[in-house]
Amino acid sequence: MNNIVVFAGSSDPYLVKKICENLSIKPSQVKLGKFSNGETSISIMESVREKDVYVIQSGCGHVNDNFMELLILLNACKTASASRVTAVMPYFCYSRQPDIPYTAKGAPLISKPKEKYTFESHPGTPVSSILTTQRPTSPGARRAVEDILETTIISTLSLEQPIPKKSNGGELHKSPSQSRIPMVPERKENSSEMGSFFNANNAGYKLWVAQAGTLIANLLTTAGADHVITMDLHDAQFQGFFDIPVDNLYCKPIAQNYIQYNIPNYQDAVIVSPDAGGAKRAASIADALELSFALIHKERRSQLPKGPPDASLTSGGGAVLSPKPLVSTSLNGPLSSQDMNPSSSKYVQTTMLVGDVRNKICIIVDDLVDTSYTITRAAKLLKDQGATTVYALITHGVFSGDALNRVSQSAIDKIIVTNTVPQDKTVSFLGKKRVHVLDVSRIFAESIRRIHNGESISMLFEHGW
Amino acid sequence: MSSNSVKLLSGNSHPELAEKIAKVLGLSLAKIGVYQYSNKETSVTIGESIRDEDVYIIQTGTGEQEINDFLMELLIMIHACRTASARRITAVIPNFPYARQDKKDKSRAPITAKLIANLLETAGCDHVITMDLHASQIQGFFHIPVDNLYAEPSVLNYIRKNTDIANTILVSPDAGGAKRVASIADKLDLNFALIHKERQKANEVSRMVLVGDVRGKSCLLVDDMADTCGTLVKASDMLLDNGAKEVIAVVTHGIFSGSAREKLKNSRLSRIVCTNTVPVDLDLEIFDQIDISPTLAEAIRRLHNGESVSYLFTHAPV
Repeated sequence: MNNIVVFAGSSDPYLVKKICENLSIKPSQVKLGKFSNGETSISIMESVREKDVYVIQSGCGHVNDNFMELLILLNACKTASASRVTAVMPYFCYSRQPDIPYTAKGAPLISKPKEKYTFESHPGTPVSSILTTQRPTSPGARRAVEDILETTIISTLSLEQPIPKKSNGGELHKSPSQSRIPMVPERKENSSEMGSFFNANNAGYKLWVAQAGTLIANLLTTAGADHVITMDLHDAQFQGFFDIPVDNLYCKPIAQNYIQYNIPNYQDAVIVSPDAGGAKRAASIADALELSFALIHKERRSQLPKGPPDASLTSGGGAVLSPKPLVSTSLNGPLSSQDMNPSSSKYVQTTMLVGDVRNKICIIVDDLVDTSYTITRAAKLLKDQGATTVYALITHGVFSGDALNRVSQSAIDKIIVTNTVPQDKTVSFLGKKRVHVLDVSRIFAESIRRIHNGESISMLFEHGW
Repeated sequence: MSSNSVKLLSGNSHPELAEKIAKVLGLSLAKIGVYQYSNKETSVTIGESIRDEDVYIIQTGTGEQEINDFLMELLIMIHACRTASARRITAVIPNFPYARQDKKDKSRAPITAKLIANLLETAGCDHVITMDLHASQIQGFFHIPVDNLYAEPSVLNYIRKNTDIANTILVSPDAGGAKRVASIADKLDLNFALIHKERQKANEVSRMVLVGDVRGKSCLLVDDMADTCGTLVKASDMLLDNGAKEVIAVVTHGIFSGSAREKLKNSRLSRIVCTNTVPVDLDLEIFDQIDISPTLAEAIRRLHNGESVSYLFTHAPV
């Protein structure tokens, strides 16, 4: 192929190598590094004048570093007179703001890795499932308080030690305690800050988390990207944020392929969407394979619970349920902020399964696993409802925080994930038997080839490659 | 008419400086939550209404691990304020990141400073306040007004108060800084010397030549930033070898990355002074700091009231 130049960002050189193998070319030489003050340094070692340049960088790992590196690379190619610069982002960072679990301030609630996860959705489904919320076994103990915190999903409170630690020998990301960027608010500032966030003067103001989507799109354009290739965008509307062409590839063909060839008796399986947002994506796979379809639905009602005590999920709601000694200890601690956020205690979250999964194989289909709360809860719910085997079919496996720990202890029997984000850690943590990695390099290679040659890429949407 | 009051927002890069600026202005920092998701994406929550307000976001370029995180924080905060209908957004960036990558010094080298300027504008920034830009031409990279403040008045005050002026000579550690040093020498009515260095790689210095006589003098090495401190330490050795009595280094941006701390500890510098444009974590006895928050605060006040900022180029407010 003439006049094509492919650069690998530092996020996933292995995927780039595979894409280039499929294109029968070699990745071009670029030196990526950092100056001693932390600024990103790049030097492009071969000419890109009048070339068609592709820069491949996934939005994983140290996201902001990788994203800046991508911007600088795009800009350097542009200023070095490349004829066209295409950003290839297998996983598009900032395409989604995590929905659960997060504190009222928008920061995610990060739990410590535990020896035992409950995977309870709170409350349990209104259907016939058994309520299995763990009661604290040793009242008054610090550990028990933590248990309650753990089982309280939208607790506005922080944990004493929010940073996931290594456990089970699994290598989670390194402790960011030396970082000046807080992961979640510390308790001390939390109580005062939360108080001021919700004080009377501020009563009319509803907190919101800034959505960075448009910004990221504009930054890429500003840096000089002429074209963007990505896969399974969380929101298809994201394409509209750009003023340049965006090719959103689909993982669906290879996913379908996997189901047909690797899941025994797939004809009897049920495709499950773990939330309403992903229903369309899951339904399209179910339609294509003529399988039945189920949906897990979460809703927040502004009403106090009438049901069993475990059915209340509120900030501080856990404390109300717990034995007296716990309440008194917690009053000095983080739980005391329950009275600061009275609005959230009116909300009740219910989870329900729409569809019948009894004695069926379930395939959870989702585009992204990050903290893994959604799919591990979904798997638990499906098993409770009588599913025999639970597969999870995921496009982007980010697995941040203690996600791998959660997945390994969850009811998910097998997780199938693509390599848009490097999955070495996932495979080594969960073992080859529980993880299958689908290779997307051929799809990306073919789309690069077609875009370079000015051919249509729409057939890639329907047929795998 | 609307109130259009000042809102001060601080990122995570230098909260102490933001606090100081807020204190000088008699304001409190706006409630804002800037956190990192477990997947390392940045999350910004603005805790109060900023509709139709004059917003100042204080974020400096610092951190060996987090410089890009802080930059993204700044961009997301600017964008968040823009979408929240702020009237005017001013980025206060005491130490402008990537300022040294400001030219295409070899083939296909990125002009990252220009990129950063474009990114800030794209995010929705209306105005930039910065201090001692590595090259003042960076101002020209922007299509929005940039106020490049000088630490010089504060530095002059420090020198007048804390050094023996009579027997002092000013030294520029490289030719690029000659102008800056000459200007200080003029104001103090002192002589100045120059060290010419040949650089082969970034962050590495090869050979140095001293121009001027420093025998028996107390030398003031002045530069805009101290990063790995290779230059400063070598220059001080050279000055002492040439008969200088003592060497004091005064820099604006004390980045002190890599092995700077060890180098300084083992150096023969009698003092190292920097401003607080970046947070400094040096527990050395020879270390001293100049507070420039009054200058930044006064610039914010003047900008908000539509007054001239040029007074600050020659005077340091207290």
